[in-house]
Amino acid sequence: MKASLKWLGKYLDLSGYTPEEIASKLTFAGIESDSITRLANADKLVIGKIISVKDHPDSDHLHVLMVDEGEKYGVHQIVCGAPNVKLGLKVIVAREGATLPGGVIKKGVIRGVESDGMCCALYELGVDKKYLTEYQCSGIEELPEDAKVGDEDPLAYLGLDDVVIDLDLLANRPDLYAISNIAREVSTLLKRPLHLPEPAKRELSKEDFKVGSITPDCPSFALRIARNVKVKESPNWLKSLLTAEGIRSINNVVDIGNYIMLLTGQPLNMYDLDKLPKKELIVKDDFEGDFLAMDDKAYPLKKGDLVVSSDDKPMCLAGIMTAKECTVDENSHNIAIESAYFKGAPIRHTANRIGLSSDSSQRFVKGVNPDQAEYVLSLTSDLLVELAEATSISETISYDTLSHEPKSIKTSLGYINTRLGSSFDIDQVIETLEADHFRVSRGEGDSFSVEVPKHRIDVVGEADISEEVIRLLGYESIPSTLPLVSSPKHGLTKIQKQRRAIRAYFRGAGLDEALTYTLINQKLNSSFNYLSNGGDLYLANPLTEEHKWLRGNILSSLLESARYNLDHGNKDFALFELSEVETLSGVGCRLALVLANNHKTRGDLEGRPYSFYDAKGLLTGMMELLNLNPNRYQVVPFALGKEEFHPGKSAQIMMGKKLLGVMGELHPNILKEFGAKNLVAMEIDLGAILELKSSPIKASIPSSYPGVERDLALILDKGISYESIEKALRKSDALIKAVSPFDVYEGEKVAADKKSLAIHISLGSDTHTLKEEEVNQAMEKAIQQLRVAFGAEIRQ
Amino acid sequence: MSEINENLTPESVQQEALAEIGKAQSASELSEVYNAFLSKKGKLSQLMAMMGKLAKEEKAKFGKAVNEAKQAITEAFAKKKEESEKKELSERLSKEKIDISLPGYDFGVGHINPYYQVIDEVTDVFVSMGYEVIGGTEVESDHFNFELLNVPKDHPSRDMQDTFYLGNVEKLLRTQTSAAQAHTMLEKEVKTPIKMISPGKVYRRDDDDMTHSHQFAQIEGLVVDKKVSLSDLKGTLELFAKKMFGEKREIRLRSSYFPFTEPSVEVDVSCFNCGGKGCAICKGSGWIEILGAGMVNPKVLSDCGYDPNEWSGFAFGVGVERVAMLRYGIDDIRRFYQNDVRFLKDFKGE
Repeated sequence: MKASLKWLGKYLDLSGYTPEEIASKLTFAGIESDSITRLANADKLVIGKIISVKDHPDSDHLHVLMVDEGEKYGVHQIVCGAPNVKLGLKVIVAREGATLPGGVIKKGVIRGVESDGMCCALYELGVDKKYLTEYQCSGIEELPEDAKVGDEDPLAYLGLDDVVIDLDLLANRPDLYAISNIAREVSTLLKRPLHLPEPAKRELSKEDFKVGSITPDCPSFALRIARNVKVKESPNWLKSLLTAEGIRSINNVVDIGNYIMLLTGQPLNMYDLDKLPKKELIVKDDFEGDFLAMDDKAYPLKKGDLVVSSDDKPMCLAGIMTAKECTVDENSHNIAIESAYFKGAPIRHTANRIGLSSDSSQRFVKGVNPDQAEYVLSLTSDLLVELAEATSISETISYDTLSHEPKSIKTSLGYINTRLGSSFDIDQVIETLEADHFRVSRGEGDSFSVEVPKHRIDVVGEADISEEVIRLLGYESIPSTLPLVSSPKHGLTKIQKQRRAIRAYFRGAGLDEALTYTLINQKLNSSFNYLSNGGDLYLANPLTEEHKWLRGNILSSLLESARYNLDHGNKDFALFELSEVETLSGVGCRLALVLANNHKTRGDLEGRPYSFYDAKGLLTGMMELLNLNPNRYQVVPFALGKEEFHPGKSAQIMMGKKLLGVMGELHPNILKEFGAKNLVAMEIDLGAILELKSSPIKASIPSSYPGVERDLALILDKGISYESIEKALRKSDALIKAVSPFDVYEGEKVAADKKSLAIHISLGSDTHTLKEEEVNQAMEKAIQQLRVAFGAEIRQ
Repeated sequence: MSEINENLTPESVQQEALAEIGKAQSASELSEVYNAFLSKKGKLSQLMAMMGKLAKEEKAKFGKAVNEAKQAITEAFAKKKEESEKKELSERLSKEKIDISLPGYDFGVGHINPYYQVIDEVTDVFVSMGYEVIGGTEVESDHFNFELLNVPKDHPSRDMQDTFYLGNVEKLLRTQTSAAQAHTMLEKEVKTPIKMISPGKVYRRDDDDMTHSHQFAQIEGLVVDKKVSLSDLKGTLELFAKKMFGEKREIRLRSSYFPFTEPSVEVDVSCFNCGGKGCAICKGSGWIEILGAGMVNPKVLSDCGYDPNEWSGFAFGVGVERVAMLRYGIDDIRRFYQNDVRFLKDFKGE
């Protein structure tokens, strides 16, 4: 909402305050000022008259003018390039030293001819070109005959000496879409008296015209009729006020409608009385069919859309737009002026559905004051008489089902001070509320009741009264204290701490912690989607297909971040993300990682390609951090199909039959698509893992007897896993305490279907020092079992 | 057995040996000296062998002299050997010098998206003030996201936040973490005081550009007790601003509007870049808007089962990316979601 200070200045004295000071006061009272604009911005101007025009001797378009600037400044020679200079024209002259938006005017010599000052176009004085005609923009401003030569304030003469504060209004103050209410607010803030316009006392004849409503969405409808109006151009003062408010002048009748709406916040609708099919206007909500609006477009209407109808024909799409057939135009003589109260919801639905929104519909949607129809129509009548020469004004019987009882709220000083933590005294509070146009009556003790001014439709309860007090007395007037609440639970929960620790673990391992979008496209959502069991959610109203699905996995999004990095020249990197994932079955928590190309262990000096074993190692480490023993979960070969992971270098993480995660090197087809040599990825159901009970901690006391180390080299079928050998060894004899592989070989030195596996075995006892014989026996037993169970061949 | 040299005396052998030890320059020369004097065939052994031929009364004297010579030679030898080894070691080490300016092994310092850095830090600040941290769901019902927060259907403030609705369930993506307020209050079977924060992702139907994102994060805070006041909110946020942006920071409150609080305020913090003098970050004003807050609307309390005649509370919401953008000079909100490792590398966590 634009607040013209010139307009506000009609109703209260603003002197002594700069526009910036007024804007700041409004801002701190909760009415944020977005910007301050001067309609025009220039000084040292004077109205002059061209008394001679000669061609410039050295130019084909410049003229040398003699301009009479009145008694005080005399006649000056000015070189001017505008095409519309002519003898006797009254012009705006910027004198030597004048500051215009384009710079300071200096006395000078233009192509050998002295020039003292400049004849100006309005845009050169800072007026926005959107308010000017093309002709005004093509030359200097041509002032009317009545302009006074020597007048030192041509901007005031033109009504352009205005400053506009652009207010960013919040949803609770729709009343401020009215200049009169902004004036009320400013008068409260500046503590200055307010004089809003009072309509003239007028005898109104009664009109035989029926108005009404069949819907509760229009509880009140009032109408006046003005006869013999003359539709013509608006006067300067009206045009310049509308300009300041960002509205173009159309004609006096339309301009009066806009002026009243801007002043009071009440949208009006004007009908050409002679074009109405019947002497009635009834609001209905059951019309179905096309509505031909004044913009020449047909809008299909449905039940629920509010229309103002006459003889069952829609004359106006209520609060939004008039029908073409009854629009007021330059040939209209008699007009009907409507001031109605429409509820916001239906107007909002209709305006949104058909894509039409206007200053009028927005006001209804946000809420208008239902108590001022009489005032609004009287002011309008005055203007129609004054500016459009209406010869008679008549009224109909109004339709009104609203109660106009004033709203009263009971409260107390104690309530206000407790809620605010303040220590205001009763006089201070009452004085503040009275200045804010509330009527206060004292009750017993510190209690009092307030009558809410009609325009403050936002004020409904005690809490609102406390807000009025503090926003006007200022938040700096309350102290800073701390709540003395002790929440029974405080601090992070175990799971919150574990999540922090896991994130720190992955960062500590050199992975960067990433953040990706929840909403992804369908293709991404169906990729790498192993953990969500189908049942993914999607949007009914996505902005784009790219952000339609609530991801059932985070790996796809993380891979997109990997792609972004690869496309931007980052070759080697490691990313992880921990995030909630929401599906039809509820909220889960996932962790995904992507390792790209090489693990650079020493910059470019040393490194190695990431492999399956990086993912596995990170997983094992995380499980250890959570104190979950390796026997709590299983890493088994990947068997979920799809060509996303390398079939031989990937795995599923299982807990019994439950899938906890997937990991591995990506399929060569995907590497090709990403333009990467090597990508390793993992996604795990962290939520399920965090639900597991961690293994109880029991100290293992190191044996006091020395152990024995033995190495074993086996030739095995390729398909036999190390894990199965380790398990067999551990089971074979209690003396075997630890098993660890130290070499795996496949190649020319062994048969094509075989591999060689070298294992380091630690043997020991808690009760005695091992004898050679015992060790040999244990080893023999182990070897025998490996031979039988796996057909292992022992290499000596 | 070599010939016994009659000219040998303990004194002469000692003298000769000490001279030889003194001259020796290397480990091999020292070893020659050892062979010549201290080995089984060395001159000291020869002297010992001579003892047998001596008269009984001379034997003791000679033996003593030989032992003295042996001791002197052994000591001198050991000393020289140590010196020589030391010298050789230092010569060898001086040739083994590496270029210590080359990079070391990377034991992994992963970086953190500044989004999490802000969430973690704000969480720590409030946890240290005794708050608990409540998780929330991003898929919400209209009831929790709007109705319980005093935003009924067709309320004008629904225009302020365009909402994503789900296609396969009657739910929406929450537009504000305030939804967690309603959950926390309503889900308390016995109404006890509340002191919580709830960080999380929220969604608005906005086109993505430098300053808008269809997804972003907020940190909601809620305190409810019998006599919580606006001054408690002011004090809490002042402490928060100081811990988050520096001890010298001040805050100021401006009147504002949110349906779920009354009174509502916007909170500005004095510019941490210029200290309030005015700069590009605070657009010359000296103040930066960081969050919205207010006293919980009595209607919200009562709809969530807390009798507003008995309880009161305050709530606040901080924009995570906004704080990160201001603090670290991040130009574009989309950077948080790109994870360009060149961008992440400046953020180290703690």
